[in-house]
Amino acid sequence: MSTEVKNAVVIGAGPAGLTAAYELAKNGIRSTILEADQLVGGISRTVNYKGYRFDIGGHRFFSKVPLINEVWDDIIDEDMLLRPRLSRILYRNHFFDYPLQAKNALTGLGLFEACMIGLSFARTKVFPSRQERNFEEWVSNRFGYRLYNIFFKTYTEKVWGIPCTEISADWAAQRIKNLSLVEAVRNALLGGGGKTKDGKIITTLIDEFKYPRLGPGMMWECCQSNLESQGNHTKMGRRVERIRHSHGKVECVYARDENGELEEFSGDQFFSTMPLRELVNMMDPAPPDEVIKAANSLAYRDYLTVVLMIKRAEIFPDNWIYIHSPEVKMGRIQNYKNWSPEMVPDYSRTSLGLEYFLWDVDDEWTWSDDRLIDLGLKETVTLKLIEENEVEDGTVVRMKKAYPIYDQHYQSHLDVIRRYLDTIPNLQTIGRNGQHRYNNQDHSMLTGIYAARNVMGAKYNIWAVNVEKEYHEETVSDEKATGDRMIPRRLVPDDDAESVASDAVIRAAFAKLDPFALGSAMGLVFAISLFLATTALILKGGEVVGPHLSLLGHYLIGYKVSWSGAFLGLIEAGIGGFLLGYVGAGLRNWTMSSYTNLLKRRADLDESKDLLDKV
Amino acid sequence: MSARSADQEVSHAIARMKAGILAFIFAMLGGGGLFVMTAWLLIKGGPQVGKTLNLLGHFFIGYSVSWPGAFVGLLYGAVTGAIIGWCIGIVYNRIVGVPSAS
Repeated sequence: MSTEVKNAVVIGAGPAGLTAAYELAKNGIRSTILEADQLVGGISRTVNYKGYRFDIGGHRFFSKVPLINEVWDDIIDEDMLLRPRLSRILYRNHFFDYPLQAKNALTGLGLFEACMIGLSFARTKVFPSRQERNFEEWVSNRFGYRLYNIFFKTYTEKVWGIPCTEISADWAAQRIKNLSLVEAVRNALLGGGGKTKDGKIITTLIDEFKYPRLGPGMMWECCQSNLESQGNHTKMGRRVERIRHSHGKVECVYARDENGELEEFSGDQFFSTMPLRELVNMMDPAPPDEVIKAANSLAYRDYLTVVLMIKRAEIFPDNWIYIHSPEVKMGRIQNYKNWSPEMVPDYSRTSLGLEYFLWDVDDEWTWSDDRLIDLGLKETVTLKLIEENEVEDGTVVRMKKAYPIYDQHYQSHLDVIRRYLDTIPNLQTIGRNGQHRYNNQDHSMLTGIYAARNVMGAKYNIWAVNVEKEYHEETVSDEKATGDRMIPRRLVPDDDAESVASDAVIRAAFAKLDPFALGSAMGLVFAISLFLATTALILKGGEVVGPHLSLLGHYLIGYKVSWSGAFLGLIEAGIGGFLLGYVGAGLRNWTMSSYTNLLKRRADLDESKDLLDKV
Repeated sequence: MSARSADQEVSHAIARMKAGILAFIFAMLGGGGLFVMTAWLLIKGGPQVGKTLNLLGHFFIGYSVSWPGAFVGLLYGAVTGAIIGWCIGIVYNRIVGVPSAS
C-alpha cells in the first residue's frame, strides 16, 4: 500500500477504529472518525445514568499481546485499577465457584448428583464421542455429559440462542486454544509459558484483571480526546449510508448526521468497523449479487442489559455471576461496583446489570424499558438476590449485533465477502463486526493497529488475528505476494529463542526409540561379547575350560565353553539381546507416550477450565 | 507450527542415539558397578572373599577382589562398558538410518 497517505477515514469509534486512528496519529497521519452513536467505545463504552456507570457486558483489560498492554498503559496508565476477579455460577439457588472446583461443585450438588457426575465422567472417558462435531460432544468429551448439562448447556444456549448440538465444535476449539503436546510437556517440565518478554509471569485471567477507574469507556474517551488534541476529529452521530468506490479504490463515504444532512468524507485510506452485512450493502456501485447474498446471510446475536439501582451496599462479592438456572431468561448479572468502586455515585447503593441475549426478532427486544425492568426485577427476586422493595430505579441499554454468529455456513459467506473486499485495497475491515469474528477487545485493537501499519507499508494479515496463536506476537510478512494481501511469515524474536531451543530438546527427548534397531544393536553386541568371552577362555585353555561361564547353559540351551558352544551362544545371545532391546524400547516408548498424553490431557483441562468466560 | 503438526512431529519422530553419551553412561555403570561390587565384598569380608567375582580375572588381566583390584576393575569395567555402549549406539543409528553423533 502507499506510503504517502495524507488522511484516513475510520468508520466506528470502538476499540478497533480508535486504535487504528491512534496508530495512524503516532505516525503523523490524520484521520476522521465517524461514529453513529453519541458515545465512543462501541461495545466497550461506559454508559452513565444518573451517575451510575455501567459496562456493556463487562470488559476485563487483560491481553497476552504486549503491544496492546503498552497501548493501554500509554492511554490511561494512572487511571487503570488492578481488580480481583470473582465470578461464580448460580444454579438451583446455590453458588458454585468458577472456574469449577471439584470439591465445591460436588458438595453443592449433593452426594447423589456427585456420584452420577463421576459415573458420567468415567463413561465419557471409556466411551467418548468418536467425532466431536458439535459443542455438546466437545464439552462432554472433556467433562462428562452430566457436568456439561448442568454447567455449560443452559448458559451457552442462553447466550447464543441455539441448541448446543447445533453449535460447531470448531467454535469451541477456536475459543479454547489447546496447547500442543510439546507446549504441554514444556510447561509441565519447565514451568508455565505465561511469561512476558521481560520474564514476568502473566497472571491468569482467572485471578485478576485491569480495569479503568470509570469503566472501559474511560479508555476510549481518553483515546478520543488524545486524538482530538492532535487534530483527529471524531464526528459523533454520523451514520454512514454509502461508500463510493471506483477502479478498486474507495473515494469517499457519505454519512448522515442527526439533523438529516448528508456529508461527504474523502480520504486516501478507509477503515471500517461496521458490521460486514451493512458495509457490503452500502457499497456504491453495489457488489455482485453473490457478495450481497453472502453478506445478508451473516447473522448476529443482540444483547440488552437491564440495570437496577438498589438501596443496599453489598449484595454479592462477585464481579459477575453466571445464571445457569433455566427458570430465568437472564444469562449473567454484573455487579458494577465490584469492577470499580467509582462505578456508583454513592457507595451505599449497588447497580446490577442483568444481561439478556436475544435475537432482534424476539418479543423481548421490542418490549418497553418499563416492561424489561419489571422482568429483570422479578427474575432477580426469583433468584433470591434482592427484595423487590430495594430497587429504586432502573434503565435499559440495547446493543444490536453484539455477537457475530458462527453458523454452519458463515465461513463460506465470509470467504465470498473477503474475496470481494480484497479487490479494494484501500478499504480494510477491522474489529469484531468488521471481521465477523468473536474478538475480545484486545484482538479488535490489534486488527486496528495492524491495519494502520499496513497503510504505512507493513504487510500484516489482519484476518489472522485471533486465529493463529502465533499471531499474538508481533509478526511481519515476507514479500511474497498472494493477490493484494500478503501471507505473514513469523519471525522468531530473540526472546523466543529459549523456548524454541527447549522445544527442540523436548522433541529429541520424547522421540521414540526404534525397537527393531535397538533390539538388533543389543543382539549384535550381546552375541559378539559372548562369542569373544567364550573364545578367550577356550584359547586360554586349562584343565576345565570355563566351568563358570558354562553355567549360562542353564539359560542358553546347548551352550558350553567350546567352539560349537561359542557359535551356538552367538546365535542365542543375539536372539536374547534382540528381545531385550525390542521389549525395552517398546516399554520406554509406551511409558513416554503415556506420560506425554497425561501431560497433554492435564494441560487441555487446564485450558478449558475458564470455558464459560469464552462462551 | 500448529498444535497438530507438533504433536505428530513428536509422535512420529524416531530418536537417534548419541553413541558417545551412551558409551559414557555404560562406562559409568560398568566401571562404577564393578568397583562397588568389589568394594562391597571386601567390606563384607569372610573366609573366601569374592570367590566368584574373582573369575573376572580370566578376562580382565590383573583384576582380583582386593582394593587395588577394585580400581583395576573400575578401569576395565569403564572401558568395556564404553565399548558396549558405543557399539549399541553406532549399530542402532546405522539401522534407523541417521548418522551417529558422538
